[in-house]
Amino acid sequence: MINHILLVAAREFRQIAMTRSFWLTLLILPVALAIGPLTQRFMSKDDPDRVMLIDRTGGSTAQAIEARFDLERQRSILTDLSRYVQRYHLDAAAPQALWSQHDRWYSDADVARFVADGGVAAAQAKLTVAAPEDTPAFKPDKPDYAFVAPPPAVAQSSDATVDAALQPLLHPTAKDAKPLDYAVLIPADFGSSPLVRLWANGNAGPRFVGTLQPVLTQQLRGRYLQANGLSPAAAQTASDIAPALSISTPPPGGGARERVLIRSILPLVACYMLMMSLMLSGSWMLQGTVEERSNKLLETVLACVSPEELMYGKLVGTVGIGLSMIAVWMLCGIGAAYATQGAIADMIRPALEPLNSVGTIATMIYFFVAGYVAIAMIFLTIGAMSDSMRDAQGYLTPVLMAILIPITILIQGILSGGGGIGIEVLTWIPIYTPFAVLARLGSGLPAWEVVATGVLLAAFIAVELVLLGRLFRASLLAAGQRPNVKTMLNRMRA
Amino acid sequence: MVNVLELAGVTKKFGDLAAVDDLSFAVREGEVFGFLGGNGAGKTTSIRMVLDILRPTAGTISVLGRAPGRENSRDIGFLPEERGLYRQMKVIDTITYFGRLKGMSASAARSHGRELLARFGLADNEKTAVDKLSKGMAQKVQLATALVNRPRLLILDEPFSGLDPVNQGLLEHEITRAAHDGATVIFSTHVMQHAERLCDRLLLIAKGAKRFEGSQDEARATLPARLSVVARSSPAALPGVAGATAVDAPVDGWQQWDVALDPGVDPGAVLERCTISGVALRRFEPRRATLHDVFIHLVGTDADAGSVAA
Repeated sequence: MINHILLVAAREFRQIAMTRSFWLTLLILPVALAIGPLTQRFMSKDDPDRVMLIDRTGGSTAQAIEARFDLERQRSILTDLSRYVQRYHLDAAAPQALWSQHDRWYSDADVARFVADGGVAAAQAKLTVAAPEDTPAFKPDKPDYAFVAPPPAVAQSSDATVDAALQPLLHPTAKDAKPLDYAVLIPADFGSSPLVRLWANGNAGPRFVGTLQPVLTQQLRGRYLQANGLSPAAAQTASDIAPALSISTPPPGGGARERVLIRSILPLVACYMLMMSLMLSGSWMLQGTVEERSNKLLETVLACVSPEELMYGKLVGTVGIGLSMIAVWMLCGIGAAYATQGAIADMIRPALEPLNSVGTIATMIYFFVAGYVAIAMIFLTIGAMSDSMRDAQGYLTPVLMAILIPITILIQGILSGGGGIGIEVLTWIPIYTPFAVLARLGSGLPAWEVVATGVLLAAFIAVELVLLGRLFRASLLAAGQRPNVKTMLNRMRA
Repeated sequence: MVNVLELAGVTKKFGDLAAVDDLSFAVREGEVFGFLGGNGAGKTTSIRMVLDILRPTAGTISVLGRAPGRENSRDIGFLPEERGLYRQMKVIDTITYFGRLKGMSASAARSHGRELLARFGLADNEKTAVDKLSKGMAQKVQLATALVNRPRLLILDEPFSGLDPVNQGLLEHEITRAAHDGATVIFSTHVMQHAERLCDRLLLIAKGAKRFEGSQDEARATLPARLSVVARSSPAALPGVAGATAVDAPVDGWQQWDVALDPGVDPGAVLERCTISGVALRRFEPRRATLHDVFIHLVGTDADAGSVAA
């Protein structure tokens, strides 16, 4: 029996592996990994947005705006630096430094302290000493904005003519000229009038406006207070008043949130891969059985192997195809992680950390294979009931919808950090169990729940093999008969 | 002689319909056995039960001395009525695959597969994908998959249907060859000519039930003998004659008669009585019954038993 199963499996495997669609599918991920960094490079904007501030109040407002944008940039650098230190375990370089305090919001005062302590250059100096040799150096992102001084034509223009003076800068005719992205005019009467003019070369970005607006508000309030009798210093102090938020977050899962997220990537990817490989290989599974039926091959085959051997052989062959596909993808991922540098490699390396745990590996493999078998069995039975691919699609589409829609919702729910009753319920419905367990594995699933759902899933597969096995066997030679639900139930009972 | 196949009281029901009804027969080792019946007579269902593709509702089956099962497949070659092959597979891989399913080693299956392809004139096509073959070529490949394991029992279900005359000749040759090499051949057909040319013994079924089992001579003996007679007067009144029908118009007083004899009457006895009675004869020709006549006689009309072809 085993010999027959393996022969059928090998033929099934070879037949699928010889199709063009298999190789195209197999190459999807490696190609994505290869072109990902390139795409990232092409998609990201190399040059910072060019911003021109035309301050007709004496220059203090423009200085305040530039200072705010610089502060936001330093906050972003500090946050990135903290993630870098956490990722490469470099806290020991300066345990008291702000960048060794992870997963927290850095206040304006924190950022000012970071700058006062020497900013990124001082941090890099300390980290270089403490970091192992193969640790990539921290590179701060390029600034998002660059401030350019107004040319004389703009500076000397009146409020009425400034628009005409700015147009050649916003839309230059020379091909090699860099256009201005934003121009901000702060009129001389700013304070008595709240009007500030903003020109944007396209849509004004919410981040730019969001940073600009509070500075202008602050300046406006200061001028208002001075106009109402407060000294400039008092007015400045009053306008600077802001709540000092002290933010506390519990350490998620006993560790840093980002770390947990990255460690969740592999199980989540496994969940996605299971879904993707089933969607992609589902039609291959159908094709094999449908071909045997439509080509009138079944009688010849069934004279040599039993329906059970045929079914198990097909199951083993298609599961083999699915696992081979995943194995190739995993190897490409590992290869990309260790052969490349950059954001993708930085993300993949820590994401592969769960592979250091035998328990996690075993759990992932079990739920992956069990999930594949549970759903592949449904596809095989659909194939056995169908005389043509068109027939099969009639069954397949609703089945796929019933499987994929809850799984997509489940994954989105888990990604957004939700842990509601819906996710818990889906975890205990065997057909969704593999996806739910894999997706939840990284964010902490109690061991008892993993074991219990695993046992339930095994029992479900056993029942499925018996019932769908009967349906498969009874449907094989029933060509030309599209069974209704009653017929299917009768065949399962037979 | 050893029985290679035995069915005893086999019945197969699909719901209320008995596709095979209390069927019993035996096939002896080394013979070519014809399984005759009209469409829907139960031939394919019986063969499927022999191959364990279907299980009987009642009765017992013995194949090569064993119960039906896949363990017999190493000794059985089977050509189904509805034929097909894996379209993307290469010819030699297809034959090897079925050889291996029948318990052969890959090298033995490949080697014998090549021999068969050479014999069928397909040696140059062994690496061709099946979907690139003509229909006739694909039929030969299918035959090769049935013969690859040098079967002791070759079961052919309507093997001549859909074959062109050249391939029909090839198949007849292969059946004769297999029998000559010691294999037992069972083939179902509703074309009586093939059965007449090939069968040692035959089974006639209709509506799933046996109507006759025996040799061709025994089959013909079930029909009353017929004569073609040209005489001056009617032989209808002669003892032993069941009836005489005039054929065409008389020529110069001589009339041709189609004469039916009573069951068991020897044509020689009728000739003797003609002489004694003074019936002038120009021709006295006993007519040998065809299997088609036997089939119609034993099974009935198309409406009763499905269609048959002479």
